[in-house]
Amino acid sequence: MFLQLLINGLIAGAIYALVATGFSLIYSTCKFIHFAHGAVIAFSSYFLYWLFSLIGINFWLSAIMAIVFAALLGLGTNVLIYQQLQKKKASNVIILISSFALLILLEALILIFFGADVKTLGFLKVAKGLPFLGAVITPLQIVIILGSLALLGLFLFFMRKTKLGKAMRAVSDNKNVAEVVGISAKKIYNWTFIIGSAIAGVAAILIGLEQNLEPMMGTNLMIKGFTGAVIGGIGSVPGAVLGSFLLGFAENFGIWFLPSGYKDAIAFVILFLFLLLRPNGILGIKKGGDKK
Amino acid sequence: MIEAYLIHLLILIGIYLILALSLQLVVGYTGLLNLGHIAFYGVGAYASSLLVLNLGFPFWIGILAGGIFATATGFLLALPTQKIKGDYFALATLGFSFVIYAVLLNWTSLTRGPLGIPGIPRPSLFGISFSSNISFLILVIIIVIITYILIKRIVYSKFGRVLQAVRDDELAARTLGKNAFKMKTYAIAISAFFAGIAGSLYAHYITFIDPSSFTLMQLIPVICIVIIGGLASLRGTILATIILILLPEPLRFIGFPSSIVGPARQIIYALVLLVILIFKPKGFYGKLKLT
Repeated sequence: MFLQLLINGLIAGAIYALVATGFSLIYSTCKFIHFAHGAVIAFSSYFLYWLFSLIGINFWLSAIMAIVFAALLGLGTNVLIYQQLQKKKASNVIILISSFALLILLEALILIFFGADVKTLGFLKVAKGLPFLGAVITPLQIVIILGSLALLGLFLFFMRKTKLGKAMRAVSDNKNVAEVVGISAKKIYNWTFIIGSAIAGVAAILIGLEQNLEPMMGTNLMIKGFTGAVIGGIGSVPGAVLGSFLLGFAENFGIWFLPSGYKDAIAFVILFLFLLLRPNGILGIKKGGDKK
Repeated sequence: MIEAYLIHLLILIGIYLILALSLQLVVGYTGLLNLGHIAFYGVGAYASSLLVLNLGFPFWIGILAGGIFATATGFLLALPTQKIKGDYFALATLGFSFVIYAVLLNWTSLTRGPLGIPGIPRPSLFGISFSSNISFLILVIIIVIITYILIKRIVYSKFGRVLQAVRDDELAARTLGKNAFKMKTYAIAISAFFAGIAGSLYAHYITFIDPSSFTLMQLIPVICIVIIGGLASLRGTILATIILILLPEPLRFIGFPSSIVGPARQIIYALVLLVILIFKPKGFYGKLKLT
C-alpha cells in the first residue's frame, strides 16, 4: 500500500512537473503569471488527437507537429496579448486577468471544435500494469516519470550551457543590465514563450497518452502545476519540479487520512497556505511579483 | 413569450448588478483584485437554500443568513490575506475559492455534492408569494435599489474615503493613523454580504444549485463588468452590467445549437475583456487603472 501510494505520487508529481516546468520558466524570465499555459497544453493535446486519431497521420509525426503547434500557440499569446499589454505599461494584475481570459477563450474554443465529451488518443493499447515489489505500474507511467526527469535534465543543460539559455538567465536576473550588454529582452521573451510552450507540447503528448482528454483539463492541470511551482519557488524551475513531486506525494498520501474526494482540496489548501506564509516557496530566491 | 424572456433577462441583470456592485467596492474602491468573490456568492446560495429547504426557515431568514454566512466567509478570507498585495493577493483569493468549491463538492452529507440541490422554493415574504417571475423581478429590483443606495453611501462615507486612500497609497494612509488592514478586511466582509444576498436570490430564482455554478468561469463576466464599467464608478458598473448580460443574447436567435451557445458566451466575454484591457484599460467611466 505504501509503495503503491509512493508510485502514484511519483506519477502525479511527474505530470505536474511537466506543467510546472514551462510555466515556471516563463514566470522566471518574463515576471508575470501565464495561467493560459494550461490551456496551451490542453489545446495541443486536442491538436494531437485531431492529427493522429481523426486524420490518421503517423503518431510520431503528429507528436512533433503538436510540439511545434504548442510553441507557436504560446508565442502567439505573447505577441498578440502580453506584449500589447506591456507596451501600455499594464500592471501584473492586468496581465494576470488577461491570462485568465486567454485560458477561458482557449477552453471555449476546444468545446466548440471538439465538443464536451471525453476523448482518448488510443495510440497505446491499455497495457497491463507490471507488478513491482507488490505495487503496480504501467510501462507508460515509467516513461512519463523518466521522460519528465530527462526533459528537466535537458532543460537545465540548455539553460546553463547554450548561448540562448544564458541570455534567458541574464534577462531573468536583471533585464536592464542584460539590455545594456546587447541582449534584446523582447526577443528573449519570445524565445522563452517558444521554449516554455514547446515543453507544454511534450507535456500535452505524455498527458494525452496517460489520461483522457476533456475540454477543462487545462484549468485542472494549471492549478496543480501552479501549486507545485508555488511550493517549490515560483521563479525557480528546479524548485517548481521539486514542488510538483511534493504535491504529488502530499495528494496521494493525504487520502490515507481523508476521503479521496478531497484529493483536489489538498492541493488548494497547500496553495493557499504557501501563498500566505511562504510565497517564495521552498527554493525561491526572490519575489518577482508586484513589490509596491 | 417575449415578455417572459425579458423578465428573465431583467432578473439576471438585477442579480449580476448586486454581484458586480459589491465586487466594485473591493476591486475599484479598495484596490484588491478579489478572485474569491464567487465563493461568497456560492456560500450565500447554499446557506440560504439549505436553511429554507432542510430546516424550514422562511425566505427572509434564509436570504439574511446567506448574507451573514458569506460575511463570515469574507472574514475567513480577509484576515489571513490582509498583508499580501497585487497578483499574490489575486492568486491567494483564487486558491480560496477553489477550497470553498472543493468543500461544496465533497461535503456530500450537507450539500449533496455534484448532484446539487433541486427544488429550492421560490420566496414568500410576509404572506406575499414571489413565485411568479414578475413578482420575483419586483423583489430583485427592490433589493438592487437597497444595495445600490447602501454601497453608494458606504463609498461616499468617511469609511469609503479611507478605503480609497488605502488603495491609492497604503503607506500614507497608515502614516495618518488609519488601520489599513482593518479597513480592507471590512471592505471584503461587506462586499461578501451583498454577494451572499445575490447568491441567495440566484438559488431561489433558478431553484437548483450545484458547485459548478460557483467557479472561476462564472466570475469572469463579473470581473469583465467591473473593469469595463470602470474602476470606482458605480454608474459605469450599472451600464456595463446591462450591456454585458445582453451582449451574448443574440446568439440564442442565430440558431446555434445549445452546445455552441455556452462556449460562445465565454468566448465573447474573454474577447471583450482582452480588448478592453489592451485598448481601454480604464473602462467606460473609470478614473484609474488596476495596479
